[in-house]
Amino acid sequence: MGLIELSGVTRRYEIGGGTVTALQDVNLTVGAGEFAVVLGPSGSGKTTLLNMIGALDTASEGEITIDGERLSGASRADLFRFRRQKVSFVFQTFNLFPGLTAVENVQFGVDATGKRDGHRIAAEVLARVGLGDRLHHFPSQLSGGEQQRVAIARALATDNPILLADEPTGELDFTTGIQILELLHEQAHAGITVLIVTHNREISRVADRVIELSSGRIVTDGPPTGGQVPIAELHW
Amino acid sequence: MRLWLRWSWRDLRSRWVQVAAIAFIIALGSGIYSGLSSTSEWRQVSYDASFARLHMYDLHADLAEGAFLDATALVDAARSIPHADAIEAVEPRLVTSTQVDASTNGETILVPGRIVGVDVTDGGPHVNGVSAAKGRPLEASDAGTDVGLLDRHFADYYDLPDTGRIEVSGGTTLDYVGQGLSPEYFLITGERNSLLAEANYAVVFVPLETAQRIAGRPGAANDLVVTLAPGADRSAVRAELEAVFAARFPDVGVELNGPRGDFAYRYLYDDIEGDQRFYNIFAVLILAGAAFAAFNLTGRIVEAQRREIGIGMALGVPARRLAVRPLLVALEVALLGVVFGVGVGLVVAALMGSVLEGFFPLPVWRFPFQLGVFARGAALGLFLPFLATLYPVWRAVRVTPVTAIRTGFLATQSSGLAPALGRIPIPGRTTAQLPFRNVLRAPRRTLMTVLGIAAAITVLVGLVGIIDSFLATIDEADAESSTSSPDRVNVSLDSFYPTDSDEVRAIADAPVTGAAEATLELPSTMRANGTEVETLLEVRDLDSPLWAPTISDRTEATGPGVVITETAADDLAVEPGDRITLRHPRREGATSYRFVDSRVTVIGLNPFPIRNVAFMGLADAGLTNLEGLTNLVVVDPAPGTSVDEVKQALFGQPGVASVQPISAFVDTIRDALEDALAILVVVEGAVLLLALLIAFNSASINADERAREHATMFAFGLRLRTVLRMATTEGAVIGVLGTGVGLGAGWLLLSWLVRSLIPETLPDIGIVTFLAPSTVLTAVGLGVIAVALAPLLTSRKLRRMDIPSTLRVME
Repeated sequence: MGLIELSGVTRRYEIGGGTVTALQDVNLTVGAGEFAVVLGPSGSGKTTLLNMIGALDTASEGEITIDGERLSGASRADLFRFRRQKVSFVFQTFNLFPGLTAVENVQFGVDATGKRDGHRIAAEVLARVGLGDRLHHFPSQLSGGEQQRVAIARALATDNPILLADEPTGELDFTTGIQILELLHEQAHAGITVLIVTHNREISRVADRVIELSSGRIVTDGPPTGGQVPIAELHW
Repeated sequence: MRLWLRWSWRDLRSRWVQVAAIAFIIALGSGIYSGLSSTSEWRQVSYDASFARLHMYDLHADLAEGAFLDATALVDAARSIPHADAIEAVEPRLVTSTQVDASTNGETILVPGRIVGVDVTDGGPHVNGVSAAKGRPLEASDAGTDVGLLDRHFADYYDLPDTGRIEVSGGTTLDYVGQGLSPEYFLITGERNSLLAEANYAVVFVPLETAQRIAGRPGAANDLVVTLAPGADRSAVRAELEAVFAARFPDVGVELNGPRGDFAYRYLYDDIEGDQRFYNIFAVLILAGAAFAAFNLTGRIVEAQRREIGIGMALGVPARRLAVRPLLVALEVALLGVVFGVGVGLVVAALMGSVLEGFFPLPVWRFPFQLGVFARGAALGLFLPFLATLYPVWRAVRVTPVTAIRTGFLATQSSGLAPALGRIPIPGRTTAQLPFRNVLRAPRRTLMTVLGIAAAITVLVGLVGIIDSFLATIDEADAESSTSSPDRVNVSLDSFYPTDSDEVRAIADAPVTGAAEATLELPSTMRANGTEVETLLEVRDLDSPLWAPTISDRTEATGPGVVITETAADDLAVEPGDRITLRHPRREGATSYRFVDSRVTVIGLNPFPIRNVAFMGLADAGLTNLEGLTNLVVVDPAPGTSVDEVKQALFGQPGVASVQPISAFVDTIRDALEDALAILVVVEGAVLLLALLIAFNSASINADERAREHATMFAFGLRLRTVLRMATTEGAVIGVLGTGVGLGAGWLLLSWLVRSLIPETLPDIGIVTFLAPSTVLTAVGLGVIAVALAPLLTSRKLRRMDIPSTLRVME
């Protein structure tokens, strides 16, 4: 049984008087510690899929079970608790709190789970992502790559088993993007299930598994075409 | 241009809730200004018309207290002056103090008052006429009969019927055939010239012959009123009248004054200007709040348009043209506010109009639409908020295109104070820190919100603080007058009587009397250092066990001395030991008096907050040549006797003009204040609404601005209540700051109003600056609690937030 299980998941939206199907009958199982990339062009439904797994959105049809917990039909309070305990997010635009320093932003991740000693944990995690010397900088005083590292640190500090990253390198230059990918890859090695959503096919080459979407359906699911390559070989 | 207009209109629509809130704030400011200022114009035209309709005198001759002359002789004297042709009309009057019993079946109404005997021949009185507001006017056939008109203020206060029966001193029953208004009594001030005394003072207009019969002085008058022909030289006529009275009635003091010598006339007109200054201050403060709110909103809109402005710059659009769109938004918000403001102004004006009519009953009230006033209000409402938007717009268009066009993390650079403030250590979990961090990270924005709230609190504190200060002043007066024998009553006599006369003995020996003290009460004027203060001089035992005034800084004087109030000492710029000139009555013959000037020493200060009260020891009574005489007996009720019983027992005693509890004076002011509150409540309600709107607007703008942060929090599983708690904490912090600033600024405003503005309109009262704890609590409740709770209004919006979409919003 996988950590993430989707069975017959469909998501429809009512937009402008019409119905748009973002996901159509998706069946998916992701195991613990997998480093998976969800690939697809704009509008393929990849972010919708991520939002379903992250309990930010609910399915119109089908079953979603995460770590043995059914999300379909869960109450609003249960979904909030689920997000605190099971998943953490990394966003394309980082979404750091501008009023908090780097260490405080990371501490927020710990505080959100209700754990104690957030500041110490945050400092340790920041050190792990190479920002031990930038603890007290505000987001506005950090580069884009550094901000994304803080965002990853914030996600890691929750100690939740699933890390969902939506276009984590989209705002970054190539070198910085590579560094971020390495960081995420390391987390999968450490046992965290990492699910990255991207439209950049190059990134999918380093994944354990590539789930490709088109028009809301999974069109391929398996190892990268041409085999997995080391991150150092990537270029875009 | 049409494109820009359409675009700015869409900007408005996208933030319609905030736009509506700010427009309404502007509307409150401009509307309150227009509505209140209209009342000034209305009062001016209505006063003019009312005084003109009833032929307010041009000159008024008032005989010294207790002096009477033959009415015909008085008129003949006036008609004999060289410029007699300048006199249009001259009429004698007999004005006497009395006690009025207007008790109804359910209520005992026993108050001091005044009988005004007027000439009713040929449809008179022709000078200072009496308009019958209800019932019928006095007619020539009423002469000598027991009929009269009851002052409308008094009748209204006690809700008396249009016609009825009253009893006056001496046991005379009068049928009042209507309720009247007369120029000197458009405002009822009582004997002490205290405002709005209608609850404790009844004026009865009767035919002159009737007044003479009631007073037992057939053919007598003690008052003369004169109107002059158009273009007549009032000063010349006045001088001639003074000369002829001095020549013909050398033993009688006669004071001649123009309309401004009448307290009610002077007060009514002077009050307009004073009130207008209040209105201006409050309206400008409200508009300042609106300006801060407009500044905040425009700042936000400009921020939201930053990238679009950058794109425009990149396309080569000149900065001044790019500024058009946000400026148009500001202009449209202000215009919307001004349009709403006309409505608010009309509502405020209508409310104020009805308050005024009830407050100052006049024979003529006119409420013409004040186009000029509304145009000024609209201009203010348009100008101030628009001005406030210039800075954020200028700031937005002066950056380089590349800065403006940046997205994502590059756009979140901060400068100025923000980084320094961000370093302030704040303990606790991040969810506890965030509200404080948010306040600190945008100091300019925080400041503007704080100032907006502070402006509302300032207005509230200034406004309610005035009421508090009045009440505190009354309490001081109450405390001073009840240091001992708090139930004592003042029994005014209708003339001067020997202290051992039958009339005085009857009062002192009455079963209801526990203790009695004969005193003198004399209208006087104090002068020093170029300032003149009218006063009621009480000649009494300064160490009486019954009651004695509190005297501080007491000094001994070689000659006669007076104790004056601290307020009077401030106004006269004197202190104990200094000498002042006292103009007071002096008995010249058996029943004749004249005013003389004496130099007296200030021998101490009294804390009573009204300046026109002064005390002199019995040992100095020789100055007035009234030793052994009294016109006021102070009575302490016998044990077990109520004040009402004393009033009823002494009312109707020979020589008694009125019986008034010592508390009546303070009660009169209290009653007056309660009436005055009606006017302030209109503005107070608007101020409360203003503060709430600013609070809501601030919360709404914050909610929009923090949407992505809130979405991130939700993504990390934070509950709605946690997010709301953070928002309310942030609101509370801003509210505390705004309230603190508002309370401080409000106190300064109040101090200024009390020290500078009120003395111009109420020179006789030494108002203490005081802010009641309840006012502070109201301010805190409004400024902190309302602002803190305002984010709860956004809970629905937060609950319905589309988290994924909000998270992906590009900045």
